[in-house]
Amino acid sequence: MSVLLWGVLPYFAIVLLIGGTVWRYRYDQFGWTTRSSQLYESKLLQIGSPLFHFGILFVVIGHVAGLVIPESWMSAMGVGESAYHVMALVIGTIAGVGTLVGIAILIYRRRTIGPVFMATTKNDKVMYVVLVGAIVLGLITTALAIAAGTGGSATAESYNYRESVAPWFRSLFVLQPDVATMAAVPVAFKIHTLVGMLLFAIWPFTRLVHAFTAPVHYLFRPYIVYRSRDARPAPGMTTPRRGWDPVGTKDRESAPARTPSRRS
Amino acid sequence: MDGLLKTGRFFTRWDESADGRAVYREGGRQGDVFYRDRWSHDKVVRSTHGVNCTGSCSWKVYVKDGIITWETQQTDYPTTGPDRPEYEPRGCPRGAAFSWYTYSPTRVRYPYARGVLLELYREAKARLGDPVLAWADVVGDPERRRRYQQARGKGGLVRTSWEEATEITAAAHVHTIKTYGPDRCAGFSPIPAMSIVSHCVGTRFIQLIGGVMTSFYDWYADLPVASPQVFGDQTDVPESGDWWDSSYLMMWGSNVPVTRTPDAHWMTEVRYRGTKVVSVSPDYADNTKFADEWLPAQSGTDAALAMAMGHVILREFLVDRAVPFFHDYVRQYTDLPFLVTLVERDGAYVVGKNVTAADLGDTSEGAAWKTVLLDEATGEPVVPNGSLGFRYTESGAGKWNLDLAGVRPALSVRVAPGESGAVEVLLPAFENADGSGSVLRRGVPTRTVNGHLVTTVFDLMLAQYGVSRAGLPGQWPTGYDDAATPYTPAWQEAITSVPAEAAIRIAREFATNAEESGGRSMIIMGAGICQWFHGDATYRAILAMLMLTGSMGRNGGGWAHYVGQEKCRPITGWLSLANGLDWSRPPRTVPGTSYWYMHTDQWRYDGYAADELSHPLAEGHLAGLSTADTIAKAVRLGWSPFYPQFDRNPLELADEAVAANPDRPADHIVERLTNGALKFAVQDPDAPENWPRTLVLWRANLLGSSSKGNEYFLKHLLGTHSNATATEADIANREVLRRPEIPEGKLDLLVSSDFRMTSTTLLSDIVFPTATWYEKHDLSSTDMHPFVHAFSPAIDPPWEARSDFDTFHAIARKLSDLARTHLGTRKDLVSVPMQHDTPGETAQPGGHALDWAAGEVPAIPGQTMPVLAVVERDYTAIADKLSALGPLTEKLGLGVKNVTFRLDEQVRQLAGMNGVMLGGAADGRPALDTDTKLAEAILTLSGTTNGELAVQGFRTLEKRVGKPLADLAEGSHEKQIRFADTQARPTPVITSPEWSGSETGGRRYAPFTVNVERLKPWHTLTGRMHFFLDHDWMRDLGEALPTYRPPLDLHRLLGEPKLGPDGAKQVVVRYLTPHSKWSIHSEYQDNLLMLSLSRGGVTVWMSPQDAAAIGANDNDWVECVNGNGVLVARAIVSHRMPEGTVFVYHVQERTIDVPKSEATGKRGGVHNSQTRLLVKPTHLIGGYGQLSYAFNYLGPTGNQRDIVTTIRRRSQQVEY
Repeated sequence: MSVLLWGVLPYFAIVLLIGGTVWRYRYDQFGWTTRSSQLYESKLLQIGSPLFHFGILFVVIGHVAGLVIPESWMSAMGVGESAYHVMALVIGTIAGVGTLVGIAILIYRRRTIGPVFMATTKNDKVMYVVLVGAIVLGLITTALAIAAGTGGSATAESYNYRESVAPWFRSLFVLQPDVATMAAVPVAFKIHTLVGMLLFAIWPFTRLVHAFTAPVHYLFRPYIVYRSRDARPAPGMTTPRRGWDPVGTKDRESAPARTPSRRS
Repeated sequence: MDGLLKTGRFFTRWDESADGRAVYREGGRQGDVFYRDRWSHDKVVRSTHGVNCTGSCSWKVYVKDGIITWETQQTDYPTTGPDRPEYEPRGCPRGAAFSWYTYSPTRVRYPYARGVLLELYREAKARLGDPVLAWADVVGDPERRRRYQQARGKGGLVRTSWEEATEITAAAHVHTIKTYGPDRCAGFSPIPAMSIVSHCVGTRFIQLIGGVMTSFYDWYADLPVASPQVFGDQTDVPESGDWWDSSYLMMWGSNVPVTRTPDAHWMTEVRYRGTKVVSVSPDYADNTKFADEWLPAQSGTDAALAMAMGHVILREFLVDRAVPFFHDYVRQYTDLPFLVTLVERDGAYVVGKNVTAADLGDTSEGAAWKTVLLDEATGEPVVPNGSLGFRYTESGAGKWNLDLAGVRPALSVRVAPGESGAVEVLLPAFENADGSGSVLRRGVPTRTVNGHLVTTVFDLMLAQYGVSRAGLPGQWPTGYDDAATPYTPAWQEAITSVPAEAAIRIAREFATNAEESGGRSMIIMGAGICQWFHGDATYRAILAMLMLTGSMGRNGGGWAHYVGQEKCRPITGWLSLANGLDWSRPPRTVPGTSYWYMHTDQWRYDGYAADELSHPLAEGHLAGLSTADTIAKAVRLGWSPFYPQFDRNPLELADEAVAANPDRPADHIVERLTNGALKFAVQDPDAPENWPRTLVLWRANLLGSSSKGNEYFLKHLLGTHSNATATEADIANREVLRRPEIPEGKLDLLVSSDFRMTSTTLLSDIVFPTATWYEKHDLSSTDMHPFVHAFSPAIDPPWEARSDFDTFHAIARKLSDLARTHLGTRKDLVSVPMQHDTPGETAQPGGHALDWAAGEVPAIPGQTMPVLAVVERDYTAIADKLSALGPLTEKLGLGVKNVTFRLDEQVRQLAGMNGVMLGGAADGRPALDTDTKLAEAILTLSGTTNGELAVQGFRTLEKRVGKPLADLAEGSHEKQIRFADTQARPTPVITSPEWSGSETGGRRYAPFTVNVERLKPWHTLTGRMHFFLDHDWMRDLGEALPTYRPPLDLHRLLGEPKLGPDGAKQVVVRYLTPHSKWSIHSEYQDNLLMLSLSRGGVTVWMSPQDAAAIGANDNDWVECVNGNGVLVARAIVSHRMPEGTVFVYHVQERTIDVPKSEATGKRGGVHNSQTRLLVKPTHLIGGYGQLSYAFNYLGPTGNQRDIVTTIRRRSQQVEY
């Protein structure tokens, strides 16, 4: 079971994420969109959207710092376990709560504003459940960590996922999943991780793909872009296809010559 | 920001512009393919939108992969010439939204029949084996008949085959013709000009079987009855390009940008020439924002403002300063100088009748129709040319013109030499808001002519308007500021709320402009003033301003009435072929209002007597009559038609009459009528034998769009559930029999042909799927521009849809087959009234309402009673006749307005172009068996589209008028507009005697320019434009002269509550149903695109004050309840609306968002659920000059603007 959950499932998620994205990019570029609903409602959107997006950006940074960077590297930089935890808890909580409030506003808006709700697909609804699930569970793990850390009990050291979840996560990328470590983490972390994997698995098939094409470059380029015509499919540039040809019989052998001069 | 850019530049290499704004990249435009595909298409087809839309805009319809995708405006209209804007582009968002219908969810894709009926019919047919017997069996059983009638409007339409649907339709017609008579079969299809062929083919079918076509123009209340009254013309108006010629432009009750969208640009552009634009509207309408000045006259009070302006114009421009331009004009072109008798009454005098040559002792032909004026030089009475007495008489040939031959008519009897006195005249007025009459005592100068005390119309006009002159008796206003006396500017201020100062100033500007520009003052008039009960009176008051200032018959001047007006430019071809005049005459036509008022039993709920509208000075011609009685009387006197005509089958009656008196069958009918053995059906409309039995609707949405009194239609005509709230009126009827029971479910079969599900199709028994306007060949024309252009099929009718042309041919073929066993060839006794523009209009001299039934005159068909004619109908040959041009074309000729074309050459041409039919009843006759051939025939047989006929017609007319006219068309003698020309591009028409204006030499069309410039008379009693109407009924209603009549007081007449809030969270308001900018007529209120652009759903616009009175906020559900029905809608609360008036936009249909009503528990109604028919008796007048019947020319209007309703906020929880 543990092997399935922590040794196989992650690779399924990765395959779906990468394969799905490639597939989507190839076959559904036109559907590669957030289907913006700003036209229908903008007052709530202009509060909820930045709150959520900046929040989730910090959440991502937090995850990178916690999961990708080994604890030893962090220590080498002089950030000790307790300092890291305070930082992670404070920034993580602010970012997490910001994200949660942001998405709460967005979902409230999506449900109550008629035109916006009308423009919401089943796909969107499933995505919202998973996304909110991942965020809430992530906050719960953070809350548990805080509770553990401030519980007053000396034995209940705050749980250090950098010694369990993070190594497992990194082990996935060297194709030697450290299943045992992961199997031993508290259940809240497990559920959060599972929902996270689910989120990545469905990612390419939802509107979340827009994250891959965030117009970051827009900030760093001149604001007018001129593109030259492509070499091929432009009007008037197609090569003439086969038309009325001489059929090769005696009387039609040299048909073009007999036809009153037609410019080719 | 610059930092970001530098960072980007640091990491990336790119080719950029010198200022760093733009970057140049190679390729990467694959995404363009989507947008290129979006607009790529396979073909573009010319078509237009085709029922009521007067825009008549030519459109490009785009087709891709066999699918209609979108449409854009055509831009190839011929130029209007230098120094003026062009017609292109024409088209509005509604037209651009039409292609939605092709594949819309409401599209009718297959023939449908009412399920209950279908089961009954199939059962009966299986049993009896014959369609006609099966139909007779079903409708002959009251229980089964009621069963399917009560299923109407409740779903249950099932798919059927074309074969079965046409069979049932044909069988019902054959059964009705056989059992009750062809005049129990009715058809309705409005506004032919916008899809002439479709209208023509169905009407032709109805007329060939002897059925009845009900009118639309008067029924819609779009007909300004003032036009026949004043001009003797149905309606003739300038094209919109002529607005550009105007130098003072008023818009009076016409919201030009909304209802004439493609033409509105002329109004905005002409302001740049310095033209002042004035708007008169009760609400802050869209056109008002373009205006330089806004006169916000309260709804329905416009005539008070017009009378006050007329007062100023008469005072300052015709009396105090006699402007020569105005004086010369009214002398020659109006009836102002004509003499009128005065009759003694109560020590004073009242207005009598026009003086005619007969009053001077002349006994020659037509003397009673030759009106008289005074020569200013000699003071002697003179009979000038041009009056009706010169139009049909042999001696009048060459003298029917406005040439005064050197005589200078005296405008006032005072100015002519000779003795003259002065007397006090009593003039009717309607100063009280409840509409009751009062009497004005004023004075006129008089003279005695051949024993008659007379004065002129001009003298009477001054008395009427209260323009005093020295030395005259009577009571006169003290000045403009006399607020107590009609019709001063101060007096109108209390009624209209327009400041007296503004009324005076605008009147002066209007007249001064006309004086300086030679009559280029124009008034665009619209539904806001036309569709009232007394709309004709309002129009006459406004037209008076134009006639007094010499503005009629001018480019850039005169009236411009734009309400459902249309111009079927190729009118002779359409009219003749539609009415089947090439096969048999006369056709049966009827004013829709009288027809539906009686047959939907609205007359039984109408609780006021006709003479409640009369005036205290009335002679009592309407005394004791109910409104229904006035209709019956008008029918009996041969004024106005009604069908069924008698209480007997006209086929049997014809057999009986011919048997009794083979030479003069009419005599037999007269005898039976006088001895009471035969009765007019209108005298007992509720008798089962007098009910209409079949009704065919095409291009029409009768129920839900135009059915004023919708709930009465549902209850009594259709016999299904309704929200009818009225109780029967307690009123005596003298002419019409009131049966104890009011019948429900008169109609056996309701057939409709449409491309979308409408309120009407939901109620129909048979629904035919028809081609849209992008799926058939047809013709379109309008009066807004001078071009005819084509409809073309962009695709074939999809699913099982067929064009109207094919539908009616299929029905006709079926009917002809069934007729072989059931009908054969029959004789039909047809009764029609005396008609305008025929000698029949000189039947009843003096305008006396003399009744043969009361022994006041002998009963003579065509003179004192209807014309009676026997027509032979071969019912087995209906299909053959429908598809070929009949022989009466050459034998009798075809024509309009008393100009008959000789058509031998044109028939030969048509036979050559169209080919001839082989075999059958129409063997050898030119073929009309396809829609394009019918279009070709319509164009070939009309003067506007065939130069040879235009010239020929003018030559014919020249003989009567005695003035040169043919030169107007001679330049176009060889021009013939073919159908292919209209397909290629919009094609300008040829000046023709069919109309009153001239397009010669590329001139913009303005009505009556031929009359003014060529001295051709108007088609009226005097041959001039009329201020004065002396018919008995006009005088009794107090409307002999222009006047103000307030909106009907429905509290007084029908017991509706008084206007205003009553303190109980409900408010009584005026209920108006104007057109919106999101629907009508090139698409309808169910179009998703337009619903998305507007609020959508059923809405009522109300003022913040009224909303506050009932505690409603914007978008709240409200309920309107009045004596006719209920309406549930959402409130749109807007400052644009004036207090006390609500708008419920026209035709918000049953198909979109109609919840159940709290008041009745049933599904709420449509906008017309709140309305009812109110018939004005003077619209029924006939047999007297311009006041004679013609189809859509004169008939009671189906006005609906006097309606009031009670609105309250309802539970916000609505159920469907």
